[in-house]
Amino acid sequence: MSKSQRQVVWEQFKKHKAALIGVGILVVMYIVTIFAGFLAPYGVNEYRRFPVTAFQPPVTIHWFDAETGRLTRPYIYNYDTERDPVTRQRVYVEDTSEAYPIRFFVRRPEAPYKILGLFESDLHLFGVDEPARIFLWGTNNLGKDLFSRVLYGGQVSLTIGILAVWVSLFLGLLMGGLSGFYGGWVDDFIMRLVEVFDAIPQLFLLIVLASLLRDPRNPLAQAFGLQMSSAQTFLMVVVVLGFVGWGGLARVIRSLILSIREMDYSQAAKALGASETRILWRHLLPATASYVIVQLTLTIPGFILAETGLSFIGLGPSEVDTSSWGLLLRDATERGISIQFVPWLLIPGIPIFLAVLSWNLVGDGLRDAFDPKKRQ
Amino acid sequence: MIPFIIRRFFHLIPTFIGATLLAFIIAQLVPGDFLTQKALNPNVRPETITRLTQQFGLDQPWPVQYINWMKNIAAGNLGLSFSSNQPVIEVIGQPIRNSMYLVVLSIIMLWALAIPLGVYSAVRQYSVGDQVVSTVSYFGLAIPNFYFAQILILLIFFFRGFTRDTFGYNSLILPVAQMTSSNYNELSPLAQIWDVFKHMLMPAFVVATSGIAGFTRVLRGQMIEFLSSDFIRTAKAKGLGERAVTYKHALRPAIIPFVAGIGSLLPALIGGAGLVEIVVSWPGITPRFLTALASQDIYVVLGLLVISSLLLMVGNLVSDLLLAVVDPRIRYS
Repeated sequence: MSKSQRQVVWEQFKKHKAALIGVGILVVMYIVTIFAGFLAPYGVNEYRRFPVTAFQPPVTIHWFDAETGRLTRPYIYNYDTERDPVTRQRVYVEDTSEAYPIRFFVRRPEAPYKILGLFESDLHLFGVDEPARIFLWGTNNLGKDLFSRVLYGGQVSLTIGILAVWVSLFLGLLMGGLSGFYGGWVDDFIMRLVEVFDAIPQLFLLIVLASLLRDPRNPLAQAFGLQMSSAQTFLMVVVVLGFVGWGGLARVIRSLILSIREMDYSQAAKALGASETRILWRHLLPATASYVIVQLTLTIPGFILAETGLSFIGLGPSEVDTSSWGLLLRDATERGISIQFVPWLLIPGIPIFLAVLSWNLVGDGLRDAFDPKKRQ
Repeated sequence: MIPFIIRRFFHLIPTFIGATLLAFIIAQLVPGDFLTQKALNPNVRPETITRLTQQFGLDQPWPVQYINWMKNIAAGNLGLSFSSNQPVIEVIGQPIRNSMYLVVLSIIMLWALAIPLGVYSAVRQYSVGDQVVSTVSYFGLAIPNFYFAQILILLIFFFRGFTRDTFGYNSLILPVAQMTSSNYNELSPLAQIWDVFKHMLMPAFVVATSGIAGFTRVLRGQMIEFLSSDFIRTAKAKGLGERAVTYKHALRPAIIPFVAGIGSLLPALIGGAGLVEIVVSWPGITPRFLTALASQDIYVVLGLLVISSLLLMVGNLVSDLLLAVVDPRIRYS
């Protein structure tokens, strides 16, 4: 019995070890992102003014009892602040008088969350009693918990790429399809448009569009009377990324369609009297599917990088009630910060790296799986 | 050849006009302008506002403004900067030069590192070294440039030199911010160049790494393809040494696309250098662009857009021409 294309591709894909590792990492990351509220001990913007927790280094978790030296349930100490006598810098010292055991499944009404926007709760996987606070990855200048913020940041950074790719796909299919199918002046016009978009450096186009759209005084916002909420800024970034990225996709789809429409089966459909729309939808576009899938997977990491870049210069989603990995890295370059004293602020780059790497691996695996020349 | 160049050049004109129009329309959408801010300032007389409005033609409808602006561009005049009242060319000239220094050094680094790596991976295919190179370059593709720069800064802070600076700390091996040291003006011209070079090393390396990954992978693929082709076997059969075969016969055709690609590399790296410039406070195009955007200095924003897209188009043109020159299979008809 012969196998369907899907089965063949899946079998090939399974042989690609690196790609499978990529899939594994991505699955874990997206699950963690969905349950960010539960896994994070604190809220995305939660901080307290007193006692100070600003720039607190990652907490030390103790596994052995201080007196008996025996293995015990993990606990932490509260931190006191002192001033370094020479540099006058704030230093955090463990206050060993009282141990705060790490508790599991604690309720913190101060940090409520919703999972997938549906299930509301304030149950957290772990936490400690006040006044101690458990900062696994340290805190930023305002004393916000970096660990919680990285988890919440994934909700923005990991989804924005996937959403933006759909915008790009829609525009690319539409424009490339029209261009390749109708030819003539339509083709000329669209390809010229792609060239025009290509002629402006992408970074600058992104920066201008993002800074333009997030300004509450821009004509679009005024026409609709919008004061952009963070959800709208999020959507705005999605649209801007997708809008800037459609050109390459359109160009490729156009050339694919041009070559496919000359193939025997589409000529046959034409000879049988099929309408132009039918040929386009039934014969031409499906033939581009495998290429499009691969291209999309390889575009997502680019969008993730672009989003972190935009957030890094402060043009991504706003800080009020969201977080994003690029935004968190921005904390590390604030004026007056010496990264040597707060190295933990660079942690948010690791998930960016992992996500981009995994998407690239998956994309390469898919490309090889779809490519008949590379079958084993 | 000459008609080909001329035709390609004329081909650019509509694209350039399209790009400027797009940039202009976007800039028009930017809410308010420099004058709105000025008008709020009680120290500025209303007459000044009116004078400036007329001077910049801001009371005209935007198509007229666009045509005026284009006429000026054709005459080599990019307009005036609102905030400093200087010609835009003077305002953006220095940042563009600064970015260029960075990008040229990173192209040199890119070539110096990527060619040996690519050749090595192709000749020792599937060796440990090859796998290390491909893994590292895969990682290189996944690290955001600006993050890599931040990490290098951290490393430079941790692994210090042995000499002490004036404050008694061990000195840094490389400077991590700005383009010049604080005592730059007291240095001799030669020492000044050395000073800037030292400041350039780290950011240029970061910009180069993003290119190295892709470059090495493609060069490896090309080399492998050529190494298994007939003319290489013939060369080997004639008794040519391994070295001569690799470098003279296989590397030369494999490197063609990269020779040609140098034109498009330039603008690509300018964009890539953007966020790194911000991390190390390099006084280049992107930081200038952001300040101009923040102060709504429209003509500076437009000027930078126009110049960078010109660079991009000319770069692409140059690489097409180079490709036609170095690759005899391409005809210019």
